[in-house]
Amino acid sequence: MTAQAALSESRASKLMKTIGILPFVLVLTCVLLALYEPRFLRTSNLINVLRNASFLTIISAGQMLVIIVGGFDISVGAIVALTSVSSALSMVGLSSMGIESAGVIVALGCLMGLIPALMVGIANGFLVSVLKISPFMVTIGTMTIAAGIAGYVTGGTPIYDMPELFTREIGRGKVFGLPYIVYAAAIVLAVLWYMQNQTRLGRYFYAVGGNEKASRLSGLNTRKYIWLAYVLSALLAGIVGLFLTARVGSGEATLGSNLMLESISVAVIGGVALKGGVGRIQMVALSALFLAVLSNGMSLARIDSKYHIIIIGLVIVIAVAAESFRESRRSNHV
Amino acid sequence: MSDQAQPSGIDLRAVGPHLLLPLAIVGVVVLFALLQPAMLSGDNIVNIMKQSSLFFFVACAQLVVIITRGFDLSVGANVSLVSVASSMVMTAVMPLYGTGLGIALGVGTGLLIGLVIGAVNGVLVAYGRINPFIVTLATMSIFTGVATTISGGFPIFNLPEAFSYAFNQMIILMLPIPLIIAGLVAYAMHFSLTRTVHGRVLYVLGDSNEVAHVAGRRVKEHLFLAYVTSGVLASIAGLLMTAQTGSGEPNLGTSLVLNSIAAAVIGGASLRGGSGGISAPIYGALLIVCLSIGMNLQQINGSLQPVVIGAILIFGAALDAIKTKAR
Repeated sequence: MTAQAALSESRASKLMKTIGILPFVLVLTCVLLALYEPRFLRTSNLINVLRNASFLTIISAGQMLVIIVGGFDISVGAIVALTSVSSALSMVGLSSMGIESAGVIVALGCLMGLIPALMVGIANGFLVSVLKISPFMVTIGTMTIAAGIAGYVTGGTPIYDMPELFTREIGRGKVFGLPYIVYAAAIVLAVLWYMQNQTRLGRYFYAVGGNEKASRLSGLNTRKYIWLAYVLSALLAGIVGLFLTARVGSGEATLGSNLMLESISVAVIGGVALKGGVGRIQMVALSALFLAVLSNGMSLARIDSKYHIIIIGLVIVIAVAAESFRESRRSNHV
Repeated sequence: MSDQAQPSGIDLRAVGPHLLLPLAIVGVVVLFALLQPAMLSGDNIVNIMKQSSLFFFVACAQLVVIITRGFDLSVGANVSLVSVASSMVMTAVMPLYGTGLGIALGVGTGLLIGLVIGAVNGVLVAYGRINPFIVTLATMSIFTGVATTISGGFPIFNLPEAFSYAFNQMIILMLPIPLIIAGLVAYAMHFSLTRTVHGRVLYVLGDSNEVAHVAGRRVKEHLFLAYVTSGVLASIAGLLMTAQTGSGEPNLGTSLVLNSIAAAVIGGASLRGGSGGISAPIYGALLIVCLSIGMNLQQINGSLQPVVIGAILIFGAALDAIKTKAR
């Protein structure tokens, strides 16, 4: 082998190491889909994919933050449901109280939706960081509690009659041809990218997740960062809850029931390591896009929705097995 | 702690944890018996015995892997798939070869499925060294999909009555058959966890992976076996639950994942691994079943019942955290 070939090969493998195989798989999937199913490339379909990817990106971003500090957030789906129910009930209540301005109703309603979400996040953070309870148990507990409350408050029936401003404008409106949720996801992506790459806060999150004891001994208030991660995760889940409520046009206690699994899958496929300390928002966003494309493709190809979860499960296994294979090869080389 | 307080303190500490759960269970039963005398009726007691025996199996399936600092999120999918597949085999074989062979083949299929699911989990966790949470999350998703796919999402009816009788309604010496099977399995599990090398290795594994490796045992085989055991136990639960409902249900196990982990942890297993005996799933199952049957009798809103279970779960985990800190 010539020196040049060796050099270019090492460059290629370096590239692979930094960005992984996910972008290639994503592009390949898109190309195959476009060839097999031309409807994939229709503008309306692409916007649909982008919208689903945006929901997934936001909720998985929160999941990523929590996994980076060495935890889990199983309660995100229930937070979505709770936010949905609480915001819808407040909006209906406020408009029956005789408030005229739709803007005020929507603003207050969204606020009332986010408050219970934040409360769950604060409770999660407190129980995990201060009482040192296993995050799995804590968030399973808060999940059942939040989902139970949401189901109890609605009595199992959806809540309708929210202002048009909310359901039509925020739920279905577009700016420059793209739904609002896409901009929301872009903002989340930009802010988190900045935080992870440019700020101390981002470094602290990695440090706490990588080695909590070392971080504490070197003077970091590890509790604060773990707590903050859970609150941020709940807040992001709450935002998803608001957009989803606007999208479906009713407050539902069953909204977001798949999102817990999907957010963890997205994070894991995006290379966030469950042992903590590793994970990049741009990879999580790519992975969200990948899952959105995949499920869109399966729908276009008329694959029964029952097979979807089988295929997504297989993708998770393959992604993680590939990751652990790469890791073991890396550690063998060193 | 001061010297004077120590003698009585030691006694309480040694006995306290062992008494706490039985007392809590008795307390729950007494509370609901005062509110609703029907709690102590003969039918209800048989019901409690049956339900907690069924629940014991999933909690026990969870315990075996929790000891190794793992998880099994696929128990629910396992139960659903076993329920659907064994029912399909029974209804298919019965008209051709008779009830007896139908039931035998159905039960055999169920156990085999449990074995296979456990083996898949075990291979990926022990030999693939992938995080058990992710492995079982993925297999949960896959096998739930398989269960709904093969059944088309509909329940499978027309199971032989002899199946329901043999695995649910039969009563021997005043004891319902699920309780007898649970008792036998509990004894076998207790023996294997405390008296065999396999059991010891599992606890050591949970305490510290490195120590187990250094100790020279073939750790991977034992870890693999733990997941297989878990899969088989869950499939027994699936069979018994199918016998109870009298039909194969594709979503029979949906709620079992969280509840089984809750039962094992409330009963005293620690998610940090390395602790928890056979008493954990027994106490945990009894507590949760008594609570939910009591709440049903009291006609507490179905949505609020998980709120109570969730709160108890966090409380149990907090106790565990405090205990760990004290150590």
